[in-house]
Amino acid sequence: MNGEKLKLVGRGVAKVDGAELVTGRAKFAGDLRFPGMLYAAARRAGVAAGKIRSIDGSAASVLPGVRAVLTAGDIPGPNIIGILPPFDQPVLASEEVRYEGESLALVVAESREAARRAAAAVRVDIESWEPILDVDAALAEGCRKIHPQGNVTFSKRLIKGDVEKGFADAEVVVENTYHTSFQEHAYLEPETVVAVPGGDGRVTVYASCQSPFHIRGHIAANLNLPASRVKVIQAYTGGSFGGKDDVATEIGCLAAVAAVKLQAPVMIAHQRGESMVGSNLRHAARIHYRTGSRRDGTIVAREAKIYLDGGAYASESPFVTMKALIHAGGPYHVPNVQVECTAVYTNKTYCGAFRGFGVPQVTFASESQIDELAAKLGMDPLELRRKNALRAGQENATGQVFEQSVGLVQTIERVADQAADRRDPVRRAGADRSDAAEGRWLHGRGCACLLQGISNGAEGIDVVGASVQASQDGSVLVGVGLTDMGQGSRTVFAQIAAEVLGVTMDRITVRQVDTDSVHDSGPTVASRSTTVGGMAVYKAAGEVRSSLVKMASLMLKCEEKQVLLQDNFAVLASCAPRADNAEVRIALQEVCTAAYWTGFPLMHLAFSRAPDAQFDHETHQGNIYIAYNYGTHLMDVRIDTLTGAVEVLRHLAAHDLGRAINPLGVEGQVEGGALIGFGMAHLERIEHEGGRIQNANFADYAVPSIKDRLPTETIIVEDPNPTGPYGAKGVGEPPVAGTAAAFANAVAAATGIRFTRLPIRREDLLAALQGRNRGTAAESTPWQ
Amino acid sequence: MLLEFELNGKQTRVEAEPNLRVLDLLRDVLGLTGTKEGCGRGECGACTILLDGKAVNSCLLYAAKLQGRHVTTIEGLSGADEGAGGRGDQGDTPDLHPLQEAFLAEGAVQCGFCTPGMILSAKSLLDRNPDPDVREIEEALSGNLCRCTGYGKIVKAVQRAAERAPGSAKGEPHDER
Amino acid sequence: MKFLAGGTDLCVQIAEGALEPTLLIDISAAEELRRIERGAEGLRIGAAVTIAELLETARAAPGKPPAPASVPRCLLQGAAAIGSPQIRHLGTIGGNLCNASPCGDTLAPLIVLAGSFTLRSNRGSRVVAAEEFFLGPKATVLEPGEILQSILIPSTHLQGRSAFRMIGKRNGQAISQVNVAVWLKQEQSADSAGGGAGGTAPIQDIRIAAGSVAPIPLRLGRAERHLRGSVPDPSLLQAAARAVQEEIQPITDVRTSQAYRRSVTASLFLEVMTEVLEKQGG
Repeated sequence: MNGEKLKLVGRGVAKVDGAELVTGRAKFAGDLRFPGMLYAAARRAGVAAGKIRSIDGSAASVLPGVRAVLTAGDIPGPNIIGILPPFDQPVLASEEVRYEGESLALVVAESREAARRAAAAVRVDIESWEPILDVDAALAEGCRKIHPQGNVTFSKRLIKGDVEKGFADAEVVVENTYHTSFQEHAYLEPETVVAVPGGDGRVTVYASCQSPFHIRGHIAANLNLPASRVKVIQAYTGGSFGGKDDVATEIGCLAAVAAVKLQAPVMIAHQRGESMVGSNLRHAARIHYRTGSRRDGTIVAREAKIYLDGGAYASESPFVTMKALIHAGGPYHVPNVQVECTAVYTNKTYCGAFRGFGVPQVTFASESQIDELAAKLGMDPLELRRKNALRAGQENATGQVFEQSVGLVQTIERVADQAADRRDPVRRAGADRSDAAEGRWLHGRGCACLLQGISNGAEGIDVVGASVQASQDGSVLVGVGLTDMGQGSRTVFAQIAAEVLGVTMDRITVRQVDTDSVHDSGPTVASRSTTVGGMAVYKAAGEVRSSLVKMASLMLKCEEKQVLLQDNFAVLASCAPRADNAEVRIALQEVCTAAYWTGFPLMHLAFSRAPDAQFDHETHQGNIYIAYNYGTHLMDVRIDTLTGAVEVLRHLAAHDLGRAINPLGVEGQVEGGALIGFGMAHLERIEHEGGRIQNANFADYAVPSIKDRLPTETIIVEDPNPTGPYGAKGVGEPPVAGTAAAFANAVAAATGIRFTRLPIRREDLLAALQGRNRGTAAESTPWQ
Repeated sequence: MLLEFELNGKQTRVEAEPNLRVLDLLRDVLGLTGTKEGCGRGECGACTILLDGKAVNSCLLYAAKLQGRHVTTIEGLSGADEGAGGRGDQGDTPDLHPLQEAFLAEGAVQCGFCTPGMILSAKSLLDRNPDPDVREIEEALSGNLCRCTGYGKIVKAVQRAAERAPGSAKGEPHDER
Repeated sequence: MKFLAGGTDLCVQIAEGALEPTLLIDISAAEELRRIERGAEGLRIGAAVTIAELLETARAAPGKPPAPASVPRCLLQGAAAIGSPQIRHLGTIGGNLCNASPCGDTLAPLIVLAGSFTLRSNRGSRVVAAEEFFLGPKATVLEPGEILQSILIPSTHLQGRSAFRMIGKRNGQAISQVNVAVWLKQEQSADSAGGGAGGTAPIQDIRIAAGSVAPIPLRLGRAERHLRGSVPDPSLLQAAARAVQEEIQPITDVRTSQAYRRSVTASLFLEVMTEVLEKQGG
């Protein structure tokens, strides 16, 4: 792998599925049309907690266009879904309401309008209970149990070394409590599925989703069908970021049940409001943290106690808990680390996977601590980080040692160099206006370091299956069990296959993911597509390559090792690059045809299996991740003290991602992830009242617009990862954590005020600045 | 009512309820699913079409208002057939409008759901202002939300399309890839 | 029955089920409602003029020098702050006014410009001052069957200077958490060299209004009295800003807190005053 001259890997090629997207021809789930298709809409609880006394669909069922009103009793199977057993979430609730978005009945009708009207007409009688609204209430003695086992969803600890001893040795200690709020994914395409019953007793479900096999399993179970009778096809997916799988499972089950019952295709397409209320959010977190160091800045102990408000159902809470636990210590070499993380049930919209998955929350806390420590020590914040940064050969917080691909220090150095280069400032239009008013503007610079484990880690088996098939005409079909929801995995897979097989990009097709035709590869999460998925493609392509090379060596009458595959030709290596006659080069088309007629296999299915995590489940010490992405972010902000408005003047985002298969794609992931992190840190906050979301729309929930964008400069650091194709590691998630943490530190530097709650909105800044001027304690608006 | 209007350059007649949303007229009646619904409230821009050359939210437009007007959807931008139905997701590429090419070349498309609306808002801008500065690009696209890209490459794509349009003056300098 | 112009507010309300009109009358194409005319009495703007068309009046035609902007600046700035280009292409000034959301961005400007509204029904027409038009959130003096026909900005208020500011949660497509408009006229001082009067001439007349700080867009008469007839030096402006803070009646809602509204209104007021008192070119 190393040292080869690569033609496609490392180049910013355009997306393979781009043409259909820019022309509007790509079919998203909501674009699909089937003869006789019906539409379904759910009747939701509308109260945060209570006992369901009755659900009466009789009035709804006689409304024009209505074909059926389904309730829990209409679900053939166990009526339960979830991510990790024991599953705790009903598809249609019949006993208890645990959050306002609980679906109680499904109306199926001839039009969307009719379905929604009728859904509103379903009569429900709910005895409302006092909702449990926060972590403290949920954990209080005698509190009502939201689930039979109690209100703790999941709780784990990480113990490395001896923190008590560590703190006893520490000469300087900082301590604080941090909060982050609920964040909404806000993908532009709301959740949508279409279920189509087949005449052969199978049912096909088209879904906007990330994890088609997970969805298939639950649909089959709830339909009381074998999984092999259910086919899930991932439609073009308009963004997901972790947010669609719970709902795709829920509405996939609902649509399938309805489709089978009525023997007609059924579409469920969420509206934006119900998408925000009825689909998972990012966990809100409360993190109590302390960090101890010696006078010279060597960090000797870190301790964190984390509470995650996970809402009504478990969803991904156990995995988010573990990930938060594992990452809370930060990308530093610290001998003594102790973390306890507990996810708690409350009567609010349930929380689950969202790009970052616990890491943004703990990184904000951890990196705020580092800055607070730097201030107390009188050290430069970046220097303090560099001093303690993990290097190859050192034990991280789980005691795992990586001998290679620990490029954190490189990211720190690249950022430091670029930030110091005044000849290349980043300026946004208008940022340059000089303002004569004295003291109106506060400027500050903040940085943050982070790490993000790549792939499933402690969450279970990490396998991806990929198939590569060469046709007689020299074109290639690639199938991978992982989904592209915009992040560009299809393109990366195509690049890898094309590179290995010497084929040009236009001759590669990456097929749509459907559960009939690709191998179960688990969910497309955790920044694993390039690493584990890419490796599977690499292997499968490699097997097909050897068939082609064998055939070509026979045709060129040379040894196999003398054959090069490039630009749709098999070429005699000694004659490349000036090979242009038949004795020294043959079109791959001919090689493939000959290979078929000679009996060499042209299709191969390969697995990439990441080494199983091996660790102590009590202390979370051991080998957990196959690799980590490391990053350093730096942000310069300007704050208007009159309005609290913040302008980001500069944003550097450096990541060690092993190898950039597609640099253009990498930039897209970094820029997009960064803006989500910025939203989390500055603009976005789900507002609850009595457990009910008050701003379930795009006017009052402030997703960044183009005028809010960041001047992000992506810095690619490549410290090759031996377990990834061409050395690659993923980069989808890390920018979220880095941006949020750097923003908080930049604001603190600018104002001299440490904000311990995210988001730090304009109004929070103004209140704090004015409170300081008046000499009163800064209070930000309460977090619910 | 019987509606007569120009759609993507062709005179079109269709029967529809006067208060049918144009978004639904396009997607359900005319089979043009390139225009998307993201919020139904005029807050995200995914449903953007051009009405007499100006970007509007088709989720807020009732069909009756189309009478005698000119409508452009994403399907009208390239050489693709106006009719419904795809030719497979990796079929022949029709001739692409410079904006479509620019979005692809600059990596300004990720999931693609916001893309049709974004491109039409950009077209509405470039058709009346062929040489926009960054501020003007931002203003023109301020009604189109994107959650995937962070917008940076979208701005670059519009600049690229502006620079490469025939007869345009050189726009705001930016990095060539 | 409901009158429909651009539909950018009405269609949302219908989509949410807040309104279920049995009849919609589309008045957006009525020629008489779409004119912008400058006459002796002032500038008359038809209610169905779209926000984008209003903004177009301030743009130069290609190849020609910019026409003197006849639409006052605060109204143009308010119009530019509305929603997004898509909303502005459909939405009308009449719609923004009749929807009467307290955060509507053309409301405070028309109050400070002493706008008056001609209302028309089959019973005849009547004129209502902008200040008297709004009764509460989403409530106006319009009676059933009555439409807003046109808005008049009197010639007196086409002179002088005005400005508008708003702030929202984010930079783009932001609903106003608060907005402020000011119109004023200063005495021409003897030593002013052409152009504006600058910051040293006394304020002859001033009107201040703020939106989203009360159930209706609020005229801030007490704050005006601080400044009317006085020379606007920095300490007086600060005193006026404090008066603004005291006069408004903001609440906490899903958009922002009462405290933020109170603070930021003062800031916006000072920004507006700075712009209005600067020498303005041609």
